[in-house]
Amino acid sequence: MADFSCLVVEDSPMMRQLLVFALARIKRISVTEAEDGVDALRKLAGARFDLVVTDINMPIMDGLKLVKRIRSDETHKDVPIIIITTEGSTEDRQRAMALGANAYITKPIQAPQVIQKVKELLQL
Amino acid sequence: MSDEEQEGRDRRTSDAPVDLSRERETFVRQFLRKGVELTESLLVENRALVAKLEQLERENTRLRAQIASDDAIRDLIRKIDSLEAERNELLTRSTELEETRRESEVRNDQIEQELHDLANLYIASHHLHTTLSVRGVIQRLIELLQQLIGAEQCAIYLMDPAGGAARPVGADGVEVSDLPVLQVGEGPIGEVMMTGLARIQDDPTIGGTLEEPIAVLPMMVREQPVGAIAVARVFEQKSRWAAVDHELFKLLGSHAGNALVAANLYADARGALAALEGIDAHLNLSNS
Repeated sequence: MADFSCLVVEDSPMMRQLLVFALARIKRISVTEAEDGVDALRKLAGARFDLVVTDINMPIMDGLKLVKRIRSDETHKDVPIIIITTEGSTEDRQRAMALGANAYITKPIQAPQVIQKVKELLQL
Repeated sequence: MSDEEQEGRDRRTSDAPVDLSRERETFVRQFLRKGVELTESLLVENRALVAKLEQLERENTRLRAQIASDDAIRDLIRKIDSLEAERNELLTRSTELEETRRESEVRNDQIEQELHDLANLYIASHHLHTTLSVRGVIQRLIELLQQLIGAEQCAIYLMDPAGGAARPVGADGVEVSDLPVLQVGEGPIGEVMMTGLARIQDDPTIGGTLEEPIAVLPMMVREQPVGAIAVARVFEQKSRWAAVDHELFKLLGSHAGNALVAANLYADARGALAALEGIDAHLNLSNS
């Protein structure tokens, strides 16, 4: 049985699959997938998550709005959040971090880098 | 009693001549004195010997203790030497284990990287072939270039049936309608479509254009070029090509054309079963 649950929010099925593959390398972690910010909020309302990994550029509700919503949610306001995006500039990184993200990974992602960040945030 | 009175009495009580008696007396006295002196001397010597014996016994005890102490020290020295050797052995073992741990860590990182690379290739292949829509194949191809390679601007060209020209059929970071029809054999993309050989710049950060892309891959079907994939620029955070990028280039070059051919053939069929109609003839399985 998994000790930690992670919500992966990504509109691209192939990126989502790649993230799930990467997170599956970490023992004691279960992964739930969401296609966009709204889908993520529905899933956050129905369960308790220990980590959220979200893309920024998504339809319906983007990752930055999702971070704001999570930080104002009583149940998940302290959950660690990793932002994943194609944007590599310092300004974008600062914007995401200012909204309350805990870490920032740029695409194309490297699974070992994702694993390391997740382990750091979950203190594994 | 005085000596004279003693001598008178001696004369009265002895028949020996007075001189002899006196001489005897003197001798006896001297003998006795000498005996006393000798006895006293012996007693003194005895006491000295007793003292010497006691001193020697003490010395002996001290020496015995010293020897015992020396033995203990020698034992301790031997124990220290043995512990020192054991410590050195443990240190060597610890260094070896640390080295093994480092090697394992490096190997583990390599394995994780290889798994990641394989996952990339699997996902690319899976997503390219699980759609039988021409538009879907083009979209997924672009998505693969963007998400897995990190392409910021890219375009896909397909050659016309005559093989003389290639038109753009998909792009990202630029409108397809803004892209020109290319002549096979002309320019970097045209040359790749003519030769079937990929053209990839060593440094992806140099920032190319679609006229001078940093990577052009031929789309091959049965060793024949049918089009090309061009990457003009990559995202600023991508500082170099990863090993898996070259593998992905090979995979896309060899699979994208097949996926497009399959999707194009399927587009005219009325569903999957209809698309499989007449397949027996190709397998020599016909019952008729």
